[in-house]
Formats: sequence, structure tokens, C-alpha cells
Amino acid sequence: MSSNKKYWRSVEELKENSSIVETLKQNEFVEEIPTDEFLGDKETLEGSATSRRDFLKYVGFSTAAATLAACEGPVNKSIPYVVAPERITVGKAEYYATTMADGFDFASILVKTREGRPIKIENNDMGNNVGNTNARVHASVLTLYDSERLQGPKIKGKSASWEQLDEELLTRLNSLNGKQIVLLTPTFASPSTAKLIASFSSAYPNVRQVVYDTVSESAALDAFESKYGTRALPDYDMTEAEMIVSIGADFLGDWHGGGIDSSYAKSRLPKNGKMSRHVQFESNMTLSGANADKRVMMTPKQQKQAVSAMHSLIMGGNSTGLSDKLDEAVRNAATQLRKAGTKGVFVTGVQDPNAQMLALAINERLGSTIMNVQNPKLIRQGSAQEVLQLVEDMNSGNVGALLMAGVNPAYSLPNAAEFKKGIEKVDLTVSFTMKEDETAILCEYLAPTPHYLESWDDVEIKRGTVCLMQPTIRPIFNTRQFQDNLLIWTGINSSYYEFLKSNWDNSSKSFNQALQDGIVETGATTSNAGTEEMQSSMKAAGGMTVASAAAALSAQDEIASNGSFELTLYSSTGMGDGRQANNPWLQEMPDPITRTSWDNYLTMSKADADALEIENEHVSNGALNGNYVNVTVDGSTIKNIPVFIQPGQAKGTVGLALGYGKKEAVQKEMQVGVNAYPFYKNFNTVQTVTIENADNGWHEFACVQLQNTMAGRGDDIIKETTLEIFNTKNRSDWNPVGQVDYNHSEIEVRNPKADIWESFDTSVGPFFNLSIDLNACTGCGACVIACHSENNVPVVGKQEVRNFRDMHWLRIDRYYSSADTFEQEIKDLEELPLMDSYSVVEEQSYDNPEIAFQPVMCQHCNHAPCETVCPVAAIGHGRQGQNQMTYNRCVGTRYCANNCPYKVRRFNWFLYNENDEFPYNMSNDLGRMVLNPDVTVRSRGVMEKCSFCIQLTQKTILDAKREGRAIVDGEFHTACSNACNKGALTFGDLNIPDSEISQLKDNDRKYYLLEDIGTKPNVFYHVKVKNTAEA
Amino acid sequence: MSSHYEAPIREPLVLGDKSYHDISVDVGAPVLGKANKYWWIVFSIALVAFLWGLGCIVYTVSTGIGVWGLNKTIGWAWDITNFVWWVGIGHAGTLISAVLLLFRQKWRMAINRSAEAMTIFAVVQAGLFPIIHMGRPWLAYWVLPIPNQFGSLWVNFNSPLLWDVFAISTYLSVSLVFWWTGLLPDFAMIRDRTSSPFQKKIYGILSFGWSGRAKDWQRFEEVSLVLAGLATPLVLSVHTIVSFDFATSVVPGWHSTIFPPYFVAGAIFSGFAMVQTLLIVMRKVSNLEDYITVTHIEYMNKVILLTGGIVTVAYLTEYFIGWYSGVPYENYTYLSFGAATGPYWWAFWALIICNLIVPLSLWVKKWRRNIKWTFFVALVVNIGMWFERFDIIVVNLSKDRLPSSWAMFTPTFVDIGIFIGTIGFFFVLFLLYARTFPVIAQAEVKTILKSSGAKYKAMRETGGQMSGSTRDSRTSSIYKEFDVMARTPVSNSSVSEGRSGFGDDTIEHEPTVNADALIDNEAKKDQIDQMLVRVGRFDPATQTADDLKKISGVGPIMEQNLHQMGIYTYDQVSKLTKKEYDLLDDIINSFSGRAERDDWAGQAKKLKK
Repeated sequence: MSSNKKYWRSVEELKENSSIVETLKQNEFVEEIPTDEFLGDKETLEGSATSRRDFLKYVGFSTAAATLAACEGPVNKSIPYVVAPERITVGKAEYYATTMADGFDFASILVKTREGRPIKIENNDMGNNVGNTNARVHASVLTLYDSERLQGPKIKGKSASWEQLDEELLTRLNSLNGKQIVLLTPTFASPSTAKLIASFSSAYPNVRQVVYDTVSESAALDAFESKYGTRALPDYDMTEAEMIVSIGADFLGDWHGGGIDSSYAKSRLPKNGKMSRHVQFESNMTLSGANADKRVMMTPKQQKQAVSAMHSLIMGGNSTGLSDKLDEAVRNAATQLRKAGTKGVFVTGVQDPNAQMLALAINERLGSTIMNVQNPKLIRQGSAQEVLQLVEDMNSGNVGALLMAGVNPAYSLPNAAEFKKGIEKVDLTVSFTMKEDETAILCEYLAPTPHYLESWDDVEIKRGTVCLMQPTIRPIFNTRQFQDNLLIWTGINSSYYEFLKSNWDNSSKSFNQALQDGIVETGATTSNAGTEEMQSSMKAAGGMTVASAAAALSAQDEIASNGSFELTLYSSTGMGDGRQANNPWLQEMPDPITRTSWDNYLTMSKADADALEIENEHVSNGALNGNYVNVTVDGSTIKNIPVFIQPGQAKGTVGLALGYGKKEAVQKEMQVGVNAYPFYKNFNTVQTVTIENADNGWHEFACVQLQNTMAGRGDDIIKETTLEIFNTKNRSDWNPVGQVDYNHSEIEVRNPKADIWESFDTSVGPFFNLSIDLNACTGCGACVIACHSENNVPVVGKQEVRNFRDMHWLRIDRYYSSADTFEQEIKDLEELPLMDSYSVVEEQSYDNPEIAFQPVMCQHCNHAPCETVCPVAAIGHGRQGQNQMTYNRCVGTRYCANNCPYKVRRFNWFLYNENDEFPYNMSNDLGRMVLNPDVTVRSRGVMEKCSFCIQLTQKTILDAKREGRAIVDGEFHTACSNACNKGALTFGDLNIPDSEISQLKDNDRKYYLLEDIGTKPNVFYHVKVKNTAEA
Repeated sequence: MSSHYEAPIREPLVLGDKSYHDISVDVGAPVLGKANKYWWIVFSIALVAFLWGLGCIVYTVSTGIGVWGLNKTIGWAWDITNFVWWVGIGHAGTLISAVLLLFRQKWRMAINRSAEAMTIFAVVQAGLFPIIHMGRPWLAYWVLPIPNQFGSLWVNFNSPLLWDVFAISTYLSVSLVFWWTGLLPDFAMIRDRTSSPFQKKIYGILSFGWSGRAKDWQRFEEVSLVLAGLATPLVLSVHTIVSFDFATSVVPGWHSTIFPPYFVAGAIFSGFAMVQTLLIVMRKVSNLEDYITVTHIEYMNKVILLTGGIVTVAYLTEYFIGWYSGVPYENYTYLSFGAATGPYWWAFWALIICNLIVPLSLWVKKWRRNIKWTFFVALVVNIGMWFERFDIIVVNLSKDRLPSSWAMFTPTFVDIGIFIGTIGFFFVLFLLYARTFPVIAQAEVKTILKSSGAKYKAMRETGGQMSGSTRDSRTSSIYKEFDVMARTPVSNSSVSEGRSGFGDDTIEHEPTVNADALIDNEAKKDQIDQMLVRVGRFDPATQTADDLKKISGVGPIMEQNLHQMGIYTYDQVSKLTKKEYDLLDDIINSFSGRAERDDWAGQAKKLKK
């Protein structure tokens, strides 16, 4: 109902024809506003409070203020998910079980992803650490983000589409006129792939698969095959081992594909008065030799003799044919092996099928339960002979098509030149590759393959243990799996994932469950029943028997060795066979033995170096320089190989790491070292070489440790004792605590009276400690890379490492003894005559020094010397036991680093990210994808250090809090403790009753690094015990 | 203090027959004159070094500390070495100005000004290093305990580095105030002597309106004593606190209870060496040999000898205790057998030779008084003390507890460049100071002239009358006249030339002039002298004074004023020009343009006839 009410504004409206009402209809104001008056009148203007000057001031100020406000830092735009993936919660990590299998390293792993990006590799505990989760595996996540990767298919060097490639290749594969199609692959160990290759072979005539292991285990495979009928390698579980004898086998390294070290470490822990004894005979100083209770230097030739001698001794013989000293050592080892019986194990790295055969025989004779032949390892299946045959075939023009997947023979074949010649005679060459490497650039068709973190597969690492590989990220580039290609060309109309799934016939686990676990025990075994039968059949087929092997080995020809050396090639801990050469983490990872990064070098004994007048010298800033040599094998020479004088290198032998000197698809900074593959003749790691001093100056090494001995300070740094003393004496005898004077009497430094500081309250909330068992640590370096990966530790490059400015938060110190043993070194210092030079204890023994490893990270002292000296209080003490570095607050005086007795603090000398001077992963968009978003990328000018992975411990605490439950023991982890599959690093909360860490803390072997200073660290070590029993 | 009795056996501290005026003239000369070639050469070199250092600093700050030679083990090297070295050098100034003042050591007066200047300039250099050695120097203000609103957080008072901040800033400010206080009468002297209005204005401001009244002097003395009392503990505290940077740490070789006294002694040792280095050059260049005498040099050498001895004892103690403790870590400290035979043997021996052996030569009196040898020893001690700090920092850090981290240090061109830059900066400041500041505390030297001046000592020695000696030679007829024509006007004379007329009896002003009654401005007196050169001087022996009152506009008082200015005859008046009139205007307040209006010269010309 509308209202008829009328409102009037003033009485004026009641008047008719009022001019005011009329005016108001048009205007807002009745009278005109006297704008002219107040704007134009000078007097008013001057009289007003805002003068012209004031006005200009305001304008000026507001302009300036607006300008300043606009001058904020650059705006970083983050793009939110337009359609948020259902399973991804931003800020929450997802873990996927998968498997690394790149042809060299095989491991069942967990992958941590954030916002769809894999950022870290962890051990998969489900599978009892199947495979070898070593440093390279941990670093492989960065290889995913390698900017040198091939980004799309290419035909004759030009970018093409997959359709084009498929079309052309299908035509060409079908028009080969019966010539061979050769698939040159690494060991896939994949049942599905094997099946697929079989169907590919049936689709095309004359298909042959050649399995090419870059670093071959052919000899061992041959021996195993002839003895047990399967082309595989025996598996070793050393957990229960009591006596381990190795002749030339670096079984803690990459021997037989590695993976033995975690069980080895368990056998090294003294339990119930017992631990394993490990005797190592070797020429190069290896990780195994460094960890051995007794290490005997032996040239490769002597190693052969020793294997044969060992065999005869075990079998009941009595002659060794070795020189006195070695004879005694081998006899003692044999005696102890026989004593250990089923708990003994013998391994050898001698690249001779006969020697490998004898090793199998010895273990069989011992009845060794350590060696497992029912579930052998399948991760090496290559045949050296077949590869060499292939090169011959190529050269003779018999090969019509060569399809190569994941191998780089043009780089890694000893006869790469012949291969390159041969490849020109092949009609069709296809490379399935991640990179345009040495081989790929020779090929007509390049089919880019995804990284294993973008792929599907199944890998039978051991017989009966199948590990599943699943993608953890959508392929970054336009790539296609090798298997998918085969499927398409075979005409099977399904993806490899479907193919894989369709092959799934395991009843014990569903496919999804298997994927989640990443590992399935199928229970399959290799039958070794009727080996006699097998042997005879093998013999008929040109195989060998134990008897023939023993005869053949002892009849080894005497190699004339006039002025020649025996070279032992090895794969280094960091670089392996070289397929991850473009990975800056691995390049910068110091070799556990030489502590040298960014290089390979000829390791040589001091005596030989002196004879050749080769020197290693320290330059003014302490960095190491070495002379060059020219090395010749069979007429082929590699010039200018730098020599690293290696203590413990057998006289007359030299060592050289494979995997370096790669040039193609490797960033300039990482094209370091020399390619040693040309020396790898006949896939034998031992070669006779001649060496001459190149006489052309100095090579610059990048070492992270320059002083090699403890200078007689063993009692404060690495405490060591023997099993005998450990078993029979009191703790105070072999693990004494430092004494200080208090009221004219001696008290232990752990006594609260010795403490001049007030202690922090540690009873509220968790209180973290880290235990490091020096018996279990083999020095493998997995923790170093894990720490790099978890904490966004920058890579600084060769020159900066040389300047002694590596950024590792966690390092593994390696010490040689100056005398024969560390014990003797301490005595030497005590008995040093007055005015006698300290070089006696500072100079390492070059003969055969004792070696010890010690991981050192921030000790998180309760009385931290770094905390008190910071003028701006950038270092605080956390209530959970951490010593906390506040990067934002740090002004960079470096006082804390000077005052740190452990020298674990790392200063950002430069800007290491987004800086072209440091062109590593942090400086390119792809590489930055690996960064852990939970950890700050530090800017230049601030100090950084280990944080006890506070981002991980806080996550655990918050998860438990949200779920409203108490935290149970074993939930807390750091990157390093997670990475250590040997149990050397244990992290935990002391306030959880009966937690593992509190038990470790109460252990008699516990001691603190440099305890006498009174820093009261939250990291403790366990005394290293060596089993020195000789009989 | 001037009345203090001084034993005749003491050697005079002011040589030459110096009068009060001479002291003013001598001290004012470098400021009022023009710089010579050598000053410009040295200044240019210093400036280039300074700019080079500045460039290195800019490079460091913009790129990162990585451009230095430091590494993960050796976090400090040249930066803190230079810091401690410069702070140490800064110690002599305060010791001389404060401690020696309290001990009434008169010989300090000739050297304290430059020593204090050196202190301040050295502390400026020193203060630079803690800032630029930071990884993020733009946040250096975070070490100040300023409220949180300023983007800072509260500081950590446990840190010796923070104590340094307070120690150094206190020291700098007290030194600066003390120095300035002493400068007030001297600035006033320059203000009064300069003919340049610009200088007059500047020095007028700098002297805070010093009037020279008795009250001024009284307050001056009081403030000096109070400041000396405040500054004396600083002599001990600053380097004590600097030594805490090391002594409170856990680094073997740093952690040493002996450090505080030993650092203080070492600082004075190096500070005096630097004073010697500078003053031996300056006394020559600025013609101050009469003020900074061999006796002064010997006294300083004795201090060097004493503090050097303390340092030596400290070295021996460190070495002995390190060995005696039997702790293996002590075998590697900077004073140990390990250091003597280790990779840093050269630094160890440089320290021993420079600081321990070479200064021993000063026990010989002949060498102690030998200026060239002293200069050499001073240089060596400076070098030695640099090495001492280098050894303490680098040698101790290089072989720390865990041998795995042992490392060596090599400086880069940036390390060296910055050090050279600070030396350049120091000399730039010092050279500018030498040309703009009264380099000798002339007011203070004047107070000891009667007791310790050679002239007066000789007078006493010969039984001469001291009571009359306050008589100014310029008004006293006992002094013979001298020919003013022989003199170069003071304000035009440069440091090294034109000084031949000075230093002997003939430099006195015209005896017929008694301008003191009119003015106390030395520059004006010089102008009067120059005027008399132009208009001719009155010789009472041959001439008779005219009755100037006959000139229209000259009354009896004016006549007396003219007489005081040395004008007695018509002849002289007839030669007055505009220039002289202006001077008269200037000096005689009531004059104001009258002579020119009345044309005295014209009148005098007529009267002369």
C-alpha cells in the first residue's frame, strides 16, 4: 500500500512559485558556493593553515612515501593449484615405496614427495633393506632434476614427435632383411621386462638381448652359473658371521652390487662377548679394508695365489706357496675360518671365474650359512663375453639394429673406439636414454626415457624378492619408458603399467598392497639340489668344476712385471660406474678413504711414488697438490693422471676409480677426472700397467680433510679397544672418563661438581640425543648425502672445497694412524723426546696404517661454546636438547665457528643459490625443485649447521599432538639416522622410558667427543672395539 | 705547573731559546702555511691506498666474505688481526695523555697531541674491522642494545664481542673528548693568528669560543684532570676486553688467563712504537726538533723497553706453561714447540725476533738515543706486534682440537688490500691532521717553558735572573734589534722553507712597537711588522718623533695608539695607503675610516715639508 504522505523540507515549499524551491530543483546549494573567494583570494589563502610550502611538503612526502612503499623486495609469485589434487595436502609430505634400479644401483626405497615433487630418498624398512641404499641412491633424486636431461625424442639430431619416431622405427625394424636386432641393456632384473623382451623377440625375427653391466661381475656370474645353474650372484647375510675373510673383495663397497654392509655392521657389534672378525687381503685401500680388524696388503697377483692357497688350506691341504708374512696371515685366516665353520664366510674380488669358483667351494665346504645361494642376487647378469662379441659382430656388419637402453658403451666400454667404429656399420641405431651422452650422440634415433622416479617396473633384486617401481611424479619431460616403446613396437596395445599389473600373479599380496609396501616376498628359490648333476652337465658344455678351477688358478702364468704396476680399477663410493656424473651432490661428496671430492686419481704407495719422484704437497693454504703420471696399458696410454699417495696401498700396485672423465651431457664444472674405462680391458679390473712421471706440474686436489692422523689424541677423539680387553677389563680401563681437580681431589668430568654452569631443565617434553656407534659405521657416506638432501645444503664446487669451505653439515672424519696402530700413536706422543718434532705423530704411516671413521655433526652441546660468544644471540639452546641456529638473526661474525671445538659450523661465504658463480642445483629452476620446503635456504653471510633435523622432530611431535597420543620410541628421526641402514646412527628421545637411545646412553661403550672441555654434548659415540684375536 | 722546580740534572724538554711567541709561531706554522711537495706526495699515496682499500671493502660487502682467504676452520685471520693491532696502537695516546698527566710527566706535553690523534685514527681503523668482517655488515647495528622496534633484538651480553662494542666506543668517545679539550686553547691560538677569515671562523667554532680568561684555564685544567681520571682505567680496560675475545673462548692457545695484562702491555708496546714511527718523521718534516727532542724519544724507548719486557715475560710464561701442562693441545698453540717447528714457523720466529730480540738493543743508551735506530726498532716492533696477533689468531685456529679440521690460511689480495687501505686511511687522517691541527699542545708546552726550556735552564745554570725574564723581548731594549726585512711573513711561510730567521734572537718584533697594549692577536702583530716594512721604521737613535697631534683627526690617545703600532714620524704617516688604513681601522677600534677621510697621508706630506 503506497503512502500518500508528503514530506516537505522547509516552509518555502508551501509557497507557490518560490524561487528557492525552483532553484533547489536544479542546484544542490541555494546560494552559489564562493569558491572564487577562498581559492582566489590571496589573503584567505595566506591566512589558511596550509601554506603553499606546506602543501608542497605534503605532496613531496606522500610521493616519497608512496615510492618507498613501492620499493619492497621483488614479489615472488606462487601459483596455487587451479584444481587441487585430491591426495595432496599442501605442506604435507607423501611417501611412496618404489625401487631404484638404474643398472648399477638397486634398492628398495621410500620416496618423500612434497606438493608432487620427490625431494628425498629414504630406506624402505619393509624390505629389510633390500638392495644397497648407498650415497648414490640417496643422491639419485637430484638426477631426476638434472638440467642436462634429454627432453624429447630426436631423429638424426633433430627434435621429433613420438608418432614420427614410432612410424619410422616400425618401418625400419620390419625391413632389416633378417639381420640381427640387438637389445643392449643393463641388468633389469625385471620379470615383466624379461617377459616383454621375450614377446618382442617373438614379434621380430632374430632379436638378441645383450646384457651389459658397466662394471662387470662376469667372473662371479660365470662361476655361480656353472656351479648352481643360475646366472646370479650369491647373497650374503653377515649378521651372524663370526669370521669374514676377503681377498680383494670390497664387499662394503660395490662388490657384487653391494648391499652387504648393513648385515656386516650388525655382526660388528660386540654382543655377549662376541663379534665378527674380519680379515682383509687387498691392494687398494678400500672401505672393507679400512673397516677390517686386520688388513694385509697383497698385490692382485698374490691375491690369486692366496685364493688358491686358502682353498687348499680349507680343503685340508697344507701348502700356500706364499711368502712368509703372507703365508702366516693366510694360514691364520684359514684356521679361524675353519674354526668359525658355518659362521665363517670367504669372499674374493679376484676377477677370475676360477677364483670365484673356489670361493663358492670354500663357503660350501665351511657349510657357511652366511652365503645364500637359494636366493641369489639378480642385479648383475651381464656377460663380458657377449658384449665383446657384440662389438665384433657390429664391426663385421652382422647387426641390423642396435637398441640401447640405459647404457653408454661409447663412454664405458674399454674398446669404445671399436664400438664407435662398429656402430657406423649398424643400419639402425636407437638409444633409449636420459641424456645425450657419448653413445646417444652416435645414434640415429633418440628415445628419451624417464628417470626411475617417473617409471613403472618390477625388480627382482634377489630371487624371491620382487620390488615394485612406481612413478612419484608425472614425467617432467616428453619421455617414454623403454618398456612402453617395446610394447608399442610389439603391437601390444597397453601401457607398461597395465602390462605390469596383468603379470601380477602373486596371491599373497594384492597389487595395490604390493605397491604400497614396495616389496613382495614371492618365496621363489633357486634350486641347488643336484648340483653334481648340474656340474657335470656344465662341464660338458665347456663349464668348469672346482677341481679344474683350482688347477687353473694355481697354474696362473707368472706375468712378467719389470717396472710395471698392477692397476686395480674400482668404482668409487661417490661416482659408482659414472652414470650420475652430473650430480653435484655426488661430485662434492668426499671419498670416504681419500676425503677428496671432484676427482679421480691414481692411488699409489709412498715407496713407489718416491721411486718415480712423484710428490703430493700442501700449498700455502694447505690444499693438496699432486704430480701427474702417464699410464699405459697394452700400448694405450692415458696422459696426466694425478697421483694421490695412498697410505696402505700395496707396493707395486696402483688404483684408479672408474666413472669419471665423462664429457657429454655433463655440465662443464662436473667434467672432472679421467676416464679409466679404456683400461678396463676384457672387463678385468686388474691390469698390468707401466707408469711414467709426466713431469708437468701440479694437479689440484679438492680435499675436505688435510691432516690425516689424530696426532696422538685418540683417547679424546676415537676411543678404541680390543674385544679381549672389552670382555675382560673394567669400563674404566678401556673407556676412562676424564678427570678434573676438585677440592684437591680428582673427580670425573661427568660429576656435576665439575660443572661450573647451571644445567638446563631437560625433563619437560622430548630430549633428543644421537648415538653414533663407531663399530657399526663403515664410512659409506649415505648419511652425508641424506643430510645434504634433507637440509638443502649447498654445493660449493671444486675450487671452494679446495679452499676448505665445503658446507657439509655432517662429515665423516677419517684418520690414519701415524704408527701401525692408534694405540702406538698415543704412546709415541707420550714418549716423544723433548724438542723432537711432532711429525712423528702428525705424519700418517704410509705402510699399512690403522683407519678409523667418525661421523661428526653438530654435537648439540648442553654447554655450547658457540652460544655464549654470539653478540646478537643468534644461537639459542632449545628445550629439546638442540643447539639452535637462528639464521635470520645471524650477522656472521664467525666467532661461534672459531669457538666450536668440533668445527661443525659452516659459514655461507657466498650466495650459493641463484648465483651463476655456483651453477649447481640451487642455481637452476629444475634443480631447485629438489629443495626441501621445510628447511630455509640460507643466504650469504650467515652461519649454518646441523639442526638435529628439527623440522622432522617437530613434525613427529605435532602429528602425535594432533592425534592425541604419546610418542612411542622409534618415531623420532633425523635424516642421517634414517639413512644409516647399519644402525650406526640412532636418534631418539631420552625422556621416553626405556627408549633405545637411553639404553645406548647407558651402554658402557658410550663416550663423548672431547669430553674434557665440558661441553656436555647431546651426541655420543660408542667406543670402537676391534676383534684382534689372531687364532 | 710552570712554577715547579726542576732539577738541573734533567735535560731540557724545549730546546732553542724559545719564547712563548716562538712556540705559537712554530706550532701554528704548518697550519697557517702551505703544504710542501712531500706532504702532497705522501698524502696522494695514502689516499690511493685508502681508495684501494675502500674498493676492496666494497667488493667484500657486495660479494661475500668468501673473497677473503678464510675457511671453515679459520674464521678469523687478517680481519681480527688488524683489528687488535689497530686497537693496540690506539693505546699509547691515552696512556700518554691520561696516565702520564696524572703522573705529572712533563715530557708528555710535546707528544700527547699527536699520540692522541694517532689513537683516535687507529681506533677508527680498528672499529672498521669488526663491522666489515661480518657476513652481513648491513646488520651491524644489531650488536647495539637498541629497542626492538628498530628491527633489532636484544643482544647477548655474554659475548665478548659485545663487550668490545662498548669498550671500543667508550674508548673512542673519551679519547675524542679528551683530545678536543686539550685542543681548545690551541685552536684559539690558530684562530687568533690566522689572517684568513675562513680559518678564523672555523677555528673559532672549533675552539668553542675560548677566550683565554683565567676561568677558562681553570675549567680547562679541571676537565683535563677529570677526563684523565676517566681515561686511565680505559687504558687497562680496552685491551683487557679485547683479550677476552680470546681468553674466554675454548680454543687452545686463546683460552689463557694471562691474556688481559699481557695484551695491555703489548698494546702500549705497539702504541709507543707507532708514536715513535710517526713523530720521528713529523719532528723533522714540521721542524719540531726543539719540542720533540732526543730526550722525548729516549723516554718513549724506555716505555717500549718496559712493556716489551712484560710481553717477553708473557711469551716465556705461555711457552713454559704450555709445555709444563703436558696437554697435547698446548703443544700446538702459537707459543709452543709445535708452532716453532710447524707450518707457521716463520710467523712464530717473526714474532720472537721482532718483539723479543730486536727491542733488547734499546738497553744500550747510545742506541736508545739514536734516532735512526729508534725508527727502525719502532717499525720492527709494529711488524712484530702484527705478527703476534696473527699468530694468536691464525696459528691457534689452524691446529685446533680435532685434527680432521686442521687447515692453513693464505690471504687473498682483498685481505691485503683492506689492510693496506686502513694504513692509507690512517695516514690520510694523520696527514690532514698535521696540516690542520696544532700538532703540539702549545698551551701546555708553554707551561713548562720556564721550568724545562733550554733557554731558561741555561739562564738558571748561569745564575741569570729569572724574575725579569718574563719581559717580552719585543718591548725590552736589552734585546738587540733585528731587520724585519729578513723575515718572510709568517702566514706565507710553508713548513720547510722561510724559517731561517726563526729560532734565534733576531726573530723578535720591532722593539719600538708595543702592539701588545692594543691587541693580543699574533697575526695582527705580524701585519704590523709588515706595515712597518712598507712605511719605514722609527729608529729612536737617529730620529726624533714628530708631533702627530698636528694631523687633523689625531688626538693624544690616537697618537699614543700610533706610537704603540710603531708610527712616530710624518714620514711614516705620509706613506700610509688604503691598506694601512684598513689595518689601523682593524686594530684601533675607535678609528673607523677616519684616517682615510681626513687624508692623514696628505696632511703628513704637507707637515713633513
